[in-house]
Formats: sequence, structure tokens, C-alpha cells
Amino acid sequence: MKAFRSRPSIMINRPEEDKEAELDIRNLRLSFGGVVAVRDVDLAVHTGELTAVIGPNGAGKTSLLNCITGFYHPQQGQIIFNGKDITNLHTHQLVGVGIGRTFQNIELFPGMTVLANMTLARHIHCHYSFWKSCLFLPEVREEEIRHRQILEEIIDFLEMQSIRKQTVGSLPYGMMKRVELGRALALEPRLLILDEPFAGMNLEEKEDMVRFLLELNGRWGLTMILVEHDMSIVMSIARRIMVLNFGEKLGEGNPDEISANPEVIKAYLGDAQALE
Amino acid sequence: MDKTAAHKTKRHQVTLPRLLAQNAANYGDAKTAIREKAYGIWQKYTWNDYFSYVCKTAAGFAALNMKRGDNLCLIVNNSPEWLFTELAAHALGATSLNLFTSSIADELAFSIGRIHSPIVVVQDQEQVDKLIEVKDKLTQVQKVIYIDPTGMTSYEDDPWLTSYASLLEIGEKYMAEHPEYVEGEISKGRPQDIAVMIQTSGTTGVPKMAMLSHRNLTTMAAQWVEAANIQPEENWISMSPPAWIVDQMWGMGVALGSAMTMNFPETPETVLEDFRDIGPSILITASRFWEDMASRIRVKISDATWVKRKLFYMGEKVGRSVVEKKLHKESIPWPTKVLYRFLKAAVYNPLLDRLGCARFHSAFTGGHPISPDVIGFFRAIGLNLKQCYGLTESGGIFQIQPDGEVKLETVGRPLPLTEVKLADDQEVLVKSDANFCGYYNDYQSTEAAFENGWLKTGDAGYIDDDGHLLIIGRKEDIIRNKSGDAFSPDFIETRLKFSPYIKEAVTFGEARPYITAMINIDLGNVGNWAEERMIPYTTYMDLSQQKAVEDLILEEVWEVNRQLPDVMKIKKFVLLYKLLDADDDELTRTGKVRRRFVYGLYIKIIEAMYGGLTSVPVTGKIRYRDGRIGEIETTINIISVD
Repeated sequence: MKAFRSRPSIMINRPEEDKEAELDIRNLRLSFGGVVAVRDVDLAVHTGELTAVIGPNGAGKTSLLNCITGFYHPQQGQIIFNGKDITNLHTHQLVGVGIGRTFQNIELFPGMTVLANMTLARHIHCHYSFWKSCLFLPEVREEEIRHRQILEEIIDFLEMQSIRKQTVGSLPYGMMKRVELGRALALEPRLLILDEPFAGMNLEEKEDMVRFLLELNGRWGLTMILVEHDMSIVMSIARRIMVLNFGEKLGEGNPDEISANPEVIKAYLGDAQALE
Repeated sequence: MDKTAAHKTKRHQVTLPRLLAQNAANYGDAKTAIREKAYGIWQKYTWNDYFSYVCKTAAGFAALNMKRGDNLCLIVNNSPEWLFTELAAHALGATSLNLFTSSIADELAFSIGRIHSPIVVVQDQEQVDKLIEVKDKLTQVQKVIYIDPTGMTSYEDDPWLTSYASLLEIGEKYMAEHPEYVEGEISKGRPQDIAVMIQTSGTTGVPKMAMLSHRNLTTMAAQWVEAANIQPEENWISMSPPAWIVDQMWGMGVALGSAMTMNFPETPETVLEDFRDIGPSILITASRFWEDMASRIRVKISDATWVKRKLFYMGEKVGRSVVEKKLHKESIPWPTKVLYRFLKAAVYNPLLDRLGCARFHSAFTGGHPISPDVIGFFRAIGLNLKQCYGLTESGGIFQIQPDGEVKLETVGRPLPLTEVKLADDQEVLVKSDANFCGYYNDYQSTEAAFENGWLKTGDAGYIDDDGHLLIIGRKEDIIRNKSGDAFSPDFIETRLKFSPYIKEAVTFGEARPYITAMINIDLGNVGNWAEERMIPYTTYMDLSQQKAVEDLILEEVWEVNRQLPDVMKIKKFVLLYKLLDADDDELTRTGKVRRRFVYGLYIKIIEAMYGGLTSVPVTGKIRYRDGRIGEIETTINIISVD
């Protein structure tokens, strides 16, 4: 019955200790040759928070995310997640630690179905051995059913029932973004990193996405870092905002503080006096 | 006959909740009552589950103070919760009214206010938002129950709103305190109590609310079980909105009466996929559904491989000829029989399976007349598609085509225990226990709806030699010829327009000895047809006056005449030299013909058709796009159909 749906069990039944996501970035510096993409940035994200990272194009937002998720390795500084130094871990190890992400440019397998794409994310939660799976023993079967159940609950939550068997390549852009979110959720991450989840969406798709994020964060306490350009969305859903400009941290605070910060206004709107 | 008698006794004492209780007692957990697709698989509810959910919901309603005689408004989609909440209201002796989920807030407020519904059951946040928007007009509404909790987090503190899940909890608690209450209320229900109200679309003024009693619905159910021989656990897929009569008469009537299974699709977007999963055994839908399906098949086939295409076209041709022969009870030569068998295995059955239509014993189309090409196509590939007729006030569909007697133009014979006759002015009258009890708070309309116990359908028709009813149209649209016989221009024109070569048609004949028609050819299709045959033409006017085109249309009119009763046959027609156009005021902006205006404008041509001429010179005006008015001089031929 619809009355009892839209509540993924991996979200409701999650023990408090599995939700813990304390991220501490200290003095991080990333440069490509002479270009410094991220300059001595500090950022602390606490369990249950929705932190937004904003900044003009080229400010270093995606570079920062790529450092956290192991795509880039910073030259200096430390990234500590739940007390563990993850600065030099590889992407696949970070998934094990509990960091999931979506991408600015969709990184799905376009030739596979939505369900297959999401099933891949369950790989890290599979416990059976290769040989057992070859024989498809009852325990393997049971586990597969459990994984499918989890995926179906996510599909139901994200309202993707009508596309579950379609190939990702045939979907509209907004839907692909939703599939990416679904895949990231299937990892059961402690920290979910979203790189411009609203880019290229129409108003209705944006409204749906906001609803999903609010539900995930507000109701089930999933910790998130969000990079986004749409200021109205960021201001209405983020609890804390960090502003980057040319790789440097320009300000940090709650939405009210940020929108009143003169430095931030200057970075976004330009220096009014300079024009005169 | 025994079967009818059994139903007869049963339906006179029974209410809908009691039917449900009987099914729970008879079938318990052994048979499936409801199936809903959720999480990608079909979840089932047995008759025990069904009954227990209804009881819990009813107890919840009782805890919220719902009493016998109250009204309950539902604004829900097709889902098990719809059945549970609606039957729960009936269990307490309340009456239900379903509204469309697509209605705007003010319409909802008006209807809810009109029946003083103290509780409103809504589907989701979208409906909640609408009600909150007009909350100041809904002073009598004490509680809004929402089914789908998606996106409702921010509303959780609003005491006006309660989720269906918590209603069930409230109900369980109430049942623990008052264990006998709900069953006691169910046994107090009487068959003549009003169970369901259905809003009928009024063409003028406020919509009317037709009231159907338990007996109306159980009678309709018994008639269908008998006529269509419905067995328990046959599958119905619930697709049409609960605010319409079809799913009401099925969900609240036939499904309970026959113990068949109600299937609910996963989401509105997945209906076609879910339809295929289930393979329903019986279905009533609008003709649109079948027309869409037919065109989808044709598109797919045109993309298929050469072998498949050839097989498909051969299959269709052979199928049509076999169906035609069977209808006229002619014998089929054995080579065709063998070929038909082969095609059935190689083409028809796989195709039907692909569509989810492999398990139909009957499928019905109602509402607007269906294109003969479409119904012919489905029958050719072995789908038992038939036509039916009914209205909200008659408790649903009461007229269906029997197997093996599917004539394109009729809507078949009445169900058992239903009498149909014609009034002097050819209005169709129906008498049955399923006829509704009247309009809510509208004595005048109720009086006007009946004549000596017969329900006036408002449609004109007649009964052919085989006892089949033929509906010719709304009574107010009926025109009489010189000898006083009624005909419906719309009826004839609709059938003419089924031809791909006819774009628009206007028929005349009021107070005239016979019927004539003015036809617009379809420039695209007739143009292609002419090109294929190397017939040169320049403009629309030129093409419409070609001898070959006249012959082509003559054949089409001939075909239509074959389906029409004698008084409605077209005797003469002309192919108009221009398309009827809204810019020339000949059509309304929505594309309907302005009959009187057209009559006045082309009176010379029309008089010529009745004057025995073979051609008539005309000067017509044409308005160009830039507003200039040009003149056309031409002679048009009058074509007789004999």
C-alpha cells in the first residue's frame, strides 16, 4: 500500500552509530602545476548537517570534492573522516569508508538499465564468495533478494518505477540525475556528496529533487555536502554554507550570515566601486 | 436460470460490506482479492486481509465520529486504500462520493461543501495542498486523511491532517475498546441505503450527483456475473478513475459479487507494463484506449523485420475475412481454416500476449463509437472486443454485445433482468433494479429522469431485427425527416469520418424526404491516393472534383450506408470545393461544424441535391489569410449513391 511506502528501510532502520559522519578538512592545498585550485581550505562537516559549498565558476568547488572522494590527492593538508585519515585513500576504498557521491557530468553506464546501474552499487555490500555465486546457492539467492528489496525501496522513494527497466542512455537528463542519486544511496553512504544535482533540470524536477534531499537529510539524518549554483535552492535547504573564490575560503556560516557577508556579495556581484 | 435465482435472493438482502464479509468467510486466505504492484512485484491481499483492513479503517472512521447517514468525500487514485476507505464508509452506513484528482481546488471545495463531508480522504500532498488553499470554505471538514505520505514531512504537526497509516492505528485501538462495533454496524446496513454517489458532468449549471444504493450495485454485479460468466479470481485491472461509474460498478459491485481480483498498477505511468503483467480477463474502456493500442501496434510493425511484417499483414487479411464469414454464419473453406490455425499460433497469439491481451474472454469498448477499422482489426487478430452501453444513472453498463453477434453499429442486448424499450420519440428507456435512486438534493431532476418507473436515458435509438439496440445520439441532437423518422446527423457523420479519405462531413435532411451529405475530402490522404494512381491535380478544388475521387468517396459512402439503418442511409452527396474553416465561421474554434450557418451558406447546393439536378454552378467566397476575400466560380457534381 502506498500508505506504507516511500520509506527505504536502509534509512529508517539505520542504527545511530552508522549515521556518524564527521568530516574534518585541515589546511588543504591542491595545485596543478602553477595553478592553485584549492588554497589552504579548512572545512568541518558534522553528522546530520547539510553543508553547501558555493562559489563562482572555477572557484575550486569540484576540486575540493574530488579531493574528498579520492579522485585527486592534495599536496598538503589532511582529510579526516570519523577519526581516520583518508587523504590518500583511493576512490573504491572511500566508498567502503562510507562516502558516496554524484557527479556534475553524469557518470552512469548509459547502455545498462537503471536497475543494473544501481545494482552495481550494492557490490560493496555483497558477502557471498565467487564460487557460491556460481552455484547460486540458497544463501546467495536470499542475499540477492535482500539487495533487490533495498533497491526497490530506493526506486520507490525516488519515484523511478516507470524507468527501472529502461536503459539509462534513453532517459532525459533530469531523470539521469535522479538515477545517480539512487545509485549513491544504494551504497548506504554516511556522507553523501552531491555535485550540482540541480543543473539542467526544469522547475518540476528541481522541486522533486529538493523534496528528496530534504527528506534524506531532515528526516533520516543523512549527512550531505552539496555543491550548487542555484542560490535560491542553496539558501533554502542548506544549514551551513562555505563560499570559495579562486580556491580560497571566502566565508562560512548559515544562510543569513552568508547572504549578508560583503565579501561574498563582492565575489558574486563584482565590486560596485571598481566600476565607478 | 438457477444461477439468476440465487443472485436474486442474495442481492435483495445484501449490502456491499456484507458481500465482502461473505467473501472473507467463503474464501478466507485461499483466494486473492486485491493485487497491487509495489517494489516491482505484485503484492497480494486475500479476502481476509481485505475485510480486516476495511474493518480497521471503519473503526478509525468511527473513532473520528463518522456516523450512519454521513457522507464521505474521496479524492483518490486507483489503489487498495481507495477500496478500503470507501467500503469502510459503507460499513458504517455512510455514503461515498469520489471526486477527480485532477479537479481544481474550488471545484473540490464546492462538492465537499455540498454534501457536508466531515472527513475527506485524499491521495497525496497535491490534494492536501489544494484543500489547504480553500480551507476557509471547508468549515465542516474536521479531518483530512492522506494516503501517500510522500512529501508530507512538513505537514506533520497540522492537526487537520492524519495519515492513513495512523488512521489504521486509531482504528486498531478503537477495535480493541469496542470489539463488536464495526460488525454490528455492518449488520445494521440495509440494501436500500445509498452507498455511492457519482457526480455526473452537467452540461449546464452545477453537476448533479447520482445516488446508487447497495441494491443497485449488487444487482448490477449479479447481472454481469451472469452475462459474462465471471469466475472468482479472474482479473480486472483498475485503470479508470474511481470517480467514474465504470470502476465504481466494478470495484464496489462486480468484484465483490463475483470474488474476482482487483489489480492496481504501480503508478499511472506504468499502467501499460502492469497491464501486460496481469493479462486481465475482462475490461471495459473507452474507444480511445483501443485506437491508441491499434496505432501503437501499426507503428511497431512498420519497424519490424520483413518476415514479421508480411506475416502480420497476411494475418490481418485472413483474420478479417474469417471474422466476416463467421458473423454472417457462412462456412469457411478448409484451406482458410488451416491457414487461420497457423496464423493464430504464429501471429495472433504472440501478438496478443505481447499486449497483455492473451487472457481476455471479453473486452468492451464504450462511450464514443469506435472506428470500425479498429474493432475489425482486434477481432481479426482474435481479441473478443465488443461494444457496450450504459450510463451512471442506470448503475453502469447494462447493454452488451453477446459473443458471436458483434455487429459494428449496435451495442448489443440488455443484461439479464434488465428491460429496455423505446419511447414514442425513440428515447431509450431502461428498467432494472440497478437504476439509480435519484439525484442528491434535487427532486426536480429526479422526477424528470423517470417515466412510469422507466429510466429515461436521454439517448435516442432503435432496436433492430435481431433485438440489438442501436444508439443514434443524444435526444436533443436528433432531427426528423419528412416522414417523421428520427436520425442523428452526428451518428452518420462520425461514421463517415472514420474513413481516412473523409475529413469533414455535414448531413442534412430535416423535414426532407431523404438524407444528403456535404463532404470534405482529406487532402493529404486523397492526395497520396491520387499520386499513387498517377492522377494529376493542382489544388484542393481540382482534386475534389476529379471523377476518380468521386468514385473513391462514393465507395466509402456505400460502405457507411451498409452499416446504417434504411432511414439514415445517404442518398446524395457533394464533394465541397473548399474545406470548412473556422476563419469562415463554418467551424467553431474547437473544430465543430456550425450546422445552421453552413446550411444557410450552402443552401443553393443543398436545394440542388433535393431538386434532382446532377450538377450545380456555384460562386463561393474564400477568405485568404491576409483578410482579402476572393471569389470562386465552379460547377460541382451531385453524386447519387444508388
